[in-house]
Amino acid sequence: MPAAPSAPVPAPSARPPRLPRRLRRPLLTALILGALIVVSAHLCQVRLDDLPGNLAKGFEVLRFFFPPDWSSLRELAGPALVTLLLAALATPLGVILSLFFGLAGARNLAPNWLRTISRTLIGVERALPEIIVLLLLVAALGVGPFPGVIALAIGSVGMLGKLFADAIEEVDPKVLESVACVGATRWQVIRHAVLPEVMPAFLANAIFRFEVNIRASVLLGAVGAGGIGLELSKAMSLLEYERAMMAVLVTLLLVFGAERISDFLRAKVMDGGRLA
Amino acid sequence: MLHVENLRKILPDGKVLLDGVSLRLERGEFVGVLGASGAGKSLTLRCILGLTKADGGSATLHSEACGGRTYDLLACKGREQRNCRRRMGVIFQGFNLVKRLRVIDNVMIGRLARIHPLRSWLYGFTDAEAVEALEALRRVKMDTYADRVTGSLSGGEMQRVAIARAIFQKPAIYLADEPIASLDPSNSLAIMKLLAPLARETPVIGVFHQPEMTARFCTRVVAIKKGRVVYDGDPRLSHDQLQEIYGDELMQVLRPPASEPSPAAHADVDDTDDVPLLAKLAA
Repeated sequence: MPAAPSAPVPAPSARPPRLPRRLRRPLLTALILGALIVVSAHLCQVRLDDLPGNLAKGFEVLRFFFPPDWSSLRELAGPALVTLLLAALATPLGVILSLFFGLAGARNLAPNWLRTISRTLIGVERALPEIIVLLLLVAALGVGPFPGVIALAIGSVGMLGKLFADAIEEVDPKVLESVACVGATRWQVIRHAVLPEVMPAFLANAIFRFEVNIRASVLLGAVGAGGIGLELSKAMSLLEYERAMMAVLVTLLLVFGAERISDFLRAKVMDGGRLA
Repeated sequence: MLHVENLRKILPDGKVLLDGVSLRLERGEFVGVLGASGAGKSLTLRCILGLTKADGGSATLHSEACGGRTYDLLACKGREQRNCRRRMGVIFQGFNLVKRLRVIDNVMIGRLARIHPLRSWLYGFTDAEAVEALEALRRVKMDTYADRVTGSLSGGEMQRVAIARAIFQKPAIYLADEPIASLDPSNSLAIMKLLAPLARETPVIGVFHQPEMTARFCTRVVAIKKGRVVYDGDPRLSHDQLQEIYGDELMQVLRPPASEPSPAAHADVDDTDDVPLLAKLAA
C-alpha cells in the first residue's frame, strides 16, 4: 500500500488523555508567573517570617511621628514654596520646549531627519528618570533648586513632547492641505490649523504634568534640589520625627492643592475647546 | 483664464493616470467635470493645485484679476506656488475646515496668503476684514453661525462655510473637488444653487458625480475617461453619451442615494428642466 494521505494525522484514540485545550494556556501562564514570583522574591530577600516582628517595630517607630510639630509650620512654609515654584517654573519651560520638540517630531510637519532626531531625543529623555537627570545636573551645576528646575523641565519634555507630536500627527491631513491651498505658508498652517486643533488637549496634558511635577519636585528636593523634600530628609536623618511628620502633612497639602487647581484648569481648558 | 494642455501623470510602475488631459475654463463659465471613479477627475484638480506633481503638460492661469499676469501652475514652487494657490479658491468634498475654530475664523483663513505671516501669527485679522468675512458668510446664508464652533455644524452647513472661505479669498477661479458628493440631495441642490451664480462672476470648475446636477447648473461639461478627455461641450448629455463615459458604473451614477424611490424618474437626464424629486426636497 502506498503512503496513506492520512498518515500525518494520528488517530485520536492513540493519544494519551490531555488537558482540555482551553485550560492549557491559563495554566501555563500561571505556572510561569508563579515561578517568576518565587525566584524574584528570593533574589530580593523577601522574608515573610520577619514581617510580623518588623511590622510591630515599624508601628512603634510610627508613634514617634505624633503629634506633628505644628510649630515648625512657619519654617516649612518657605521650603514648601520653593517646591511649588520649582514645579511652577519647570512646567512652562518644559511646555515651551515640548512645543518645539513636538512640531519637529510630527511626521506631517517636519522632514524625516528632523523627526528622527526629535523623536530620539524625546525617547532617550523618557528612558532617563528625572532623578538621574538631576544627579547629572547637580554634578555640573551644584546643589540647589536651579538644577531641579532644569531636570523637571527636561523630564516634562519626555512626556509632553511625545504626546504633542502624536496629537499633531493625528490632525486630519486634508485640513492641513486645504489651508495650504489658500496659499498659506507652513508656519501659517501650523498657527491657524495645527495649533487650534491640538491646543486644548495639549494644555490639558501640560496641566496634568504640572501635577506630576509637584510630586517629582518633592522627591528631587530630597536629592539636592531643596524645598520641602530636603526638609523632610534632613528631619529624618536628625531623628526629628515630629518635624518630619509636619513636612509630610505640608507635602500632602501641596499635592492635594495642586490636584484641585489642575482639575479646575483642565475643565476650563477642555470646555474652551467645546469639542473635547 | 485656466488653460490646461496635455496634462500627464504616470505612476512609477508605468500606469498612466492622466493621458494628456486638456481643458479650458473661461470667464462666466461653470464647468462640470464628469467621469467614472478613478478616471482622473480629482487628480487633474490636484495637479492644477500643485498637490500632486504632474509628469507633463502645462497648466496656466491668466486673469485681469491677478494684474494680467500669467501663472505657470505646474512649474512653481515655494512663494510662487503660494501666489498661484492664492488665486484659486478650493472647495473639497470633505469640507476640510479647522473644526475647533469658530466659523468666522475658518472663513478668514481664506485670506492668509494676503497678509504678512507675522501679522497672522501675532495679531490676526482686522475688524474690516472680519466685516468682509461676515459678508462672505451672508452670501452663503451662514452669517448667524459666525460665532459657532465649526465642528458642531452639519455637513451642508460646513460646505457653505467652506464656500464662504473661498469667496473671502477673492480668487480668480474656483475649483470644487466633488463638493456635493457627501451631502444629501437637498443640501447638494442648495450648494449647486450657491455655486451657479458665483460662477457668473468668477468661473468655477467642479468635479461632480451627478450628471443631472451638471446638466441643470453647469454651462459646459467635460468628461474624463481613463485619463483622457472624451467629451467637452453641452452639459445635457444623452443616455448613450453617459453610457460611453461611465460604462459599467452608469447605473450607480444615475441611481440616487439609498432610500430614494423610482430611480427611473430621473435616469433620463435629457429632461433637464426639472429634477422633480430633488426640487421637491429642496422646497
